[in-house]
Amino acid sequence: MEVSVKVLDRKKMLWVNGTLLGLLALSIVGSTLLGPVRLNLSEALENMFTANPDAEILFRARLPRVLLGVAIGGGMAACGVVLQALLRNPLACPQMLGVSGGASLGGILGLIFFPYWLLPIAGGLLGEISWVPFAAFLGALLSMIFIYRFSLFRGRLHPYHLLLSGVIFNSLVAAVIMFLNSILDFYQAQGLLFWLMGSLSTRTYLTVAFIWAYIVFGFLWLWTKGVSLNLITLGEEAATQLGVETGALQRQIFVASSLMIGAMVSVSGMIGFVGLMIPHVMRLIVGSDHRLLLPASFLAGGIFLCWADTVARILLAPAELPVGIITAFFGGPFFLFLLYREGRKLPI
Amino acid sequence: MSAMNHRRRIIIVYLFAVSLLALCCHKASAREASTSGPQRVVSLAPSVTETLFALGFGDRLVGVTSYCDYPPEAKQLPKIGGFMNPSLEVIVEKKPDLVIGVNTATDPTKVREMERLGLRVNLISVASLTDILTGIKSVARLMGNPKVGERLVVKIERQLNQVKKRVAPAPRRSALLVVGLRPLVAVGGKNFIDDLITLAGGENIAGNATQPWLNLPDEFVVAKAPQVIIEAGMGSERAAPAKHWGDLKSIPAVKEGRVYAYPSDKILRPGPRVGEGLEEIARFIHPECFAESRRGLKNGSECESSRP
Amino acid sequence: MKHAIRTENLVFAYKEKPVLDGVSLSIESGEMVGILGPNGSGKTTLLKIFSAVLSGRGEVKLNGRAIETYSKRELSRIFAVVAQENQIHFPYTAAEIVLMGRASFHSPLALEGKRDLEVARASMQFTDCLFLSDRYLHELSGGEKQRVIIARALAQEPQILLLDEPSAFLDLKHQVQILELMRQLNREQGLTIVAALHDLNLAALFFPRLVMLRDAKIYRDGTAKEVLTEKTIEEVYGIRVRVEPDPSGEKPQLFICPSA
Repeated sequence: MEVSVKVLDRKKMLWVNGTLLGLLALSIVGSTLLGPVRLNLSEALENMFTANPDAEILFRARLPRVLLGVAIGGGMAACGVVLQALLRNPLACPQMLGVSGGASLGGILGLIFFPYWLLPIAGGLLGEISWVPFAAFLGALLSMIFIYRFSLFRGRLHPYHLLLSGVIFNSLVAAVIMFLNSILDFYQAQGLLFWLMGSLSTRTYLTVAFIWAYIVFGFLWLWTKGVSLNLITLGEEAATQLGVETGALQRQIFVASSLMIGAMVSVSGMIGFVGLMIPHVMRLIVGSDHRLLLPASFLAGGIFLCWADTVARILLAPAELPVGIITAFFGGPFFLFLLYREGRKLPI
Repeated sequence: MSAMNHRRRIIIVYLFAVSLLALCCHKASAREASTSGPQRVVSLAPSVTETLFALGFGDRLVGVTSYCDYPPEAKQLPKIGGFMNPSLEVIVEKKPDLVIGVNTATDPTKVREMERLGLRVNLISVASLTDILTGIKSVARLMGNPKVGERLVVKIERQLNQVKKRVAPAPRRSALLVVGLRPLVAVGGKNFIDDLITLAGGENIAGNATQPWLNLPDEFVVAKAPQVIIEAGMGSERAAPAKHWGDLKSIPAVKEGRVYAYPSDKILRPGPRVGEGLEEIARFIHPECFAESRRGLKNGSECESSRP
Repeated sequence: MKHAIRTENLVFAYKEKPVLDGVSLSIESGEMVGILGPNGSGKTTLLKIFSAVLSGRGEVKLNGRAIETYSKRELSRIFAVVAQENQIHFPYTAAEIVLMGRASFHSPLALEGKRDLEVARASMQFTDCLFLSDRYLHELSGGEKQRVIIARALAQEPQILLLDEPSAFLDLKHQVQILELMRQLNREQGLTIVAALHDLNLAALFFPRLVMLRDAKIYRDGTAKEVLTEKTIEEVYGIRVRVEPDPSGEKPQLFICPSA
């Protein structure tokens, strides 16, 4: 009896990734054209190099943040995928790893104590960037090192310890935030709250380029792990017996995703829900093979966050909502709907 | 001395005695008026503290928030916590006759708890300029001397009108006042600062918003093209402001160098110093209307002919 | 290539008490060996040490070379393991699971090649689970799942097959089916088979050589007739049995005598 079997083949890879890439391009274009303010596109394109409002809206206010959103959405989704594999839990997400808590904490402390320190880039020629992202990234690194040491046991990182340290760090951050909230003045507290909920607001192409390079590199590196990511979801022993150097792979995934998350939170605050929802949704659509799931989630995450930011800018215009609210608000019900339809396909 | 002189002397003495008595009575009633009303007051907001001092009731304050720093005497007063989260225990311990707070900052559940503990709590609104003035009068009434409230409000209104008159000849300028840069937090509508901006001859670009404070996206600022940008209350140095906006050269405020930093938060207190705050804002929006000649006379022609 | 597993004075302890204490065992290529012993006697541990999931003190040599010198990838082409528990947290189809056995034959990012697909298909046909290809693993019954896992093990094209209580969750029909499969693989393809078992009667019927563990040491090592004696069973398992030959007369079978 000839049984045809559905397996991952080149056609599916190209088809899925190609479609998503196309949607991503459309999303970038769409998001730069949409906003709370009317944009005169011809004006913007014709007078690109003079100081005219349309050009500035398009190229200085919107495009950088759209590009940043794509990178961060993709990065969060990719980290969600590998963390779910590492922790063998489909409900894991970047927020669970204490690294995001450490980054938030670093960023908050930087925001409060040194908000006006500005680092000149290239001797001031390329402008300046705030010290806050570096403080956040430092927080991410320190927490990463701490969690690593705490969870390392006989060369293996135990998912239980990783989860536990994540919980501890996030509780610590919440406590510190409450504390700071009571000693800060009203305006500082407002600023703190906005930063915590995440924002893609940026005008610096340098930041965007840096994050893009960082995240694309991280994603590609994780993608080369390919089948090994499938194997570690079977359990440490099964993966070892199928040929994976489990201890090394766990450490690599942890460090790579920690660095990526640290960088992302440093720049935009913690934008939650993308890293949880997108991998799961994509798993329902393209299956659990990480060779396809990872790039598909990366692209889908970029598309999602791009549009979420557009909604965040438009919904309560002229006010800008924190994008984290949009991701939770629209992502949640959609996810529930998908779950309801595909309920039978999920493991018990 | 004749009988007429004697009568005259008696009348004079009588008049003198009566006037003396009248004077004493008047003084007594005045003192009575000022010694009636709550003697121990706790303030839950810096603006309320300022108001109480300005009305002359500073000596009756037994508790203020840790942010109450004006007038300087307020810093010596015992503290009852922050103004978002005052300590109920400390307030009760002060045995106040009256607790005055601000409805936007004080938690209503805390108010209910205080009332349940037998304290008398009043919240005043500071949502608009009118509210602030009404609030000052309310505080005076609560303290038992409505007249000082009315006098203070008259004084403030005079200050406001003076500024209004000074900038009247100049055409309205669009303005933006921010209290935070990263993220960008700006004054919106339904905010007393918005009223001040309007009085100062400006037009708040975010004035149509329903929120008093809002996070603005950069594209909005570019599109609305404010002519003046004021960065208030952030403790920044004057040199810093232009740098945040440096690359958005199409904004008139940036192009013409009208981005100002105002480190103190005097402008931001919804209290009796709003008149002074208004003048500060007006000086930013219409500096040419405040160019003083040696005689202190307004140089009207410059103010009128200023470009929009 | 003839592979042989040889251990000398193997010692392993999870905590203080050693689970394996001085175990010296030698298995030649093409053998079919059953590892017996009560719970906690070290059966599973021994298999895990063979497949380099755990490492203990003492020598473990694979074809004359210390096992530590092999990379995990090399080892996965020599050993295939069918573990007792197979918890899968993600929705994979049976076909995807079997193809995972081919992981060490292609680079991580590459897709499976023609040969990989052929081998997987053949393995699934051999264990009669090809019709389950597109079904999700967690939807399958215990027996079906076990057949898929064995197919995955076979897809690795191993020289040695390690099984840890392969019939633990199966009904009688499937228990026998699996062991018949093992015997077939051993006889037709010369696959070395090492299985940890708790069903002594089935072990006696299918395995030419049995190794009995007791108190972290090897108690008996030999044919079923030699190992499964009434005295040995009583000493190791603490129950009384009667041993009689099976209908063919060659293999012993145990009859349990519970206390009255």
